[in-house]
Amino acid sequence: MQPTDREWLEALRELELDRPVRIMNVCGGHERSISMAGLRTAIPDNIELVPGPGCPVCICPEEDVYEAMQLALNEDIILVAFGDMLRVPVNVPKREPRSLEQAKAAGADIRPIASPGEAVRIATANPQKKVVFFAAGFETTTAPVAAMLAEGAPDNLLVLLSGRLTWPAVAMLLESETPGFDALIAPGHVSTVMGPEEWEFVAERHGLPCAVAGFRADTLLAAMYSVLRQLQEKKPFLDNCYPEVVRPGGNPEARAALEKTMRVVDANWRGVGTIPDSGYELRDAYAAHDARKHLPSYADDLRKRAGEMPPGCDCARVVLGKIYPNECRLYGVACTPRKPIGPCMVSDEGACRIWWSSGYRDNVSDESQSREAVG
Amino acid sequence: MCLAVPMQVRTVDGFNCVCEARGIEREVSLFMLQNENIEIGDHVLVHVGYAIQKVSEEQAADTWQLFDEVLAAEDSIHDVR
Ligand code: SF4
Repeated sequence: MQPTDREWLEALRELELDRPVRIMNVCGGHERSISMAGLRTAIPDNIELVPGPGCPVCICPEEDVYEAMQLALNEDIILVAFGDMLRVPVNVPKREPRSLEQAKAAGADIRPIASPGEAVRIATANPQKKVVFFAAGFETTTAPVAAMLAEGAPDNLLVLLSGRLTWPAVAMLLESETPGFDALIAPGHVSTVMGPEEWEFVAERHGLPCAVAGFRADTLLAAMYSVLRQLQEKKPFLDNCYPEVVRPGGNPEARAALEKTMRVVDANWRGVGTIPDSGYELRDAYAAHDARKHLPSYADDLRKRAGEMPPGCDCARVVLGKIYPNECRLYGVACTPRKPIGPCMVSDEGACRIWWSSGYRDNVSDESQSREAVG
Repeated sequence: MCLAVPMQVRTVDGFNCVCEARGIEREVSLFMLQNENIEIGDHVLVHVGYAIQKVSEEQAADTWQLFDEVLAAEDSIHDVR
């Protein structure tokens, strides 16, 4: 019999940690399970659970969303994108459309899709038009885009690729002077696709405990127990607490499709900056499907920096686990899921939205400001 | 965007199959599981229309239990959206 949630909680309590420990997760799905199950209040006080860079929508560069909007508004194309990208805000002067949703309302042909297969169907049904697939996402989502291309996409289907790899953001944090966490829970479905081995560097190079977890409370608690035991024993390694689904080497076909169609390049993360080897670009053999090569660019250096985050929005620090969502001054005050200001409140995987919909309603920005002032 | 859902295979035609979960049917690509033997009745984890892993019936049921809890919790908070 597998231990129950209650037994895992009991085991965590019996560990008697001699100091507070911060465990980071880098997956919106993990954060959702943790928040919905109320694990933060159930576990001992000296274990902190920190949401890190786990939301692909939140870190998609502002200029890419802007580019997609401008292509849809100015070119004779159909733009398709995963539904959760449609409400992501960009910074533009008042009266100009601020999101793909508003560009659609202004007359652009923008269609939400739920799979690459739908993009193929729309392109096949509209052979006289260019269909641009704005494809943002982490490995789990980018691999299906790669598979779509590897299988052979229609000639009129172009990809505006904004794919990102998860582990390099964690590597960047670990190489910084203040990583802000003592152990890592590695993402379950990213590891299903890419293989758990990608996360070995956390223990091997940085000496931090690491465990891959699934999405139920018991596998998350098992991963927490694992990393805390590793800390106590001072023997960090990569544990796999989701072995039913996460197999060594990941999914070989998914990795082959990625390797065949895309190469890894340095890439910008919204509000964070460039992270080495953290993005995907189409290989030359697939240039015929590269929207960036066949359509004009609307990139504008003047608006680039100013456009990173909406004024007052602290998403960049939320994404890096530097502050909790409710430490942003706007959290729950000006910014709620009904009237979101930053991408972290727009996206279903954004920590701000997950916290709000899980019932965290207190804004503690004043307390945290004074805490920072005291040191 | 990274959360895959378990579905049951209903029909298979090359890389294309139709999968079902909770009464909803979807076209799913088996491209990434082409070296696995996938048969009608099997359960697979589906993400953006692609099956990324074969799972056991138990594993599928467990995951759906989690989704039901999450959805119920979200429904109970009326002003989410
Ligand atoms: S609460 Fe809103 S404004 Fe503040 S960080 Fe989150 S999304 Fe940005």
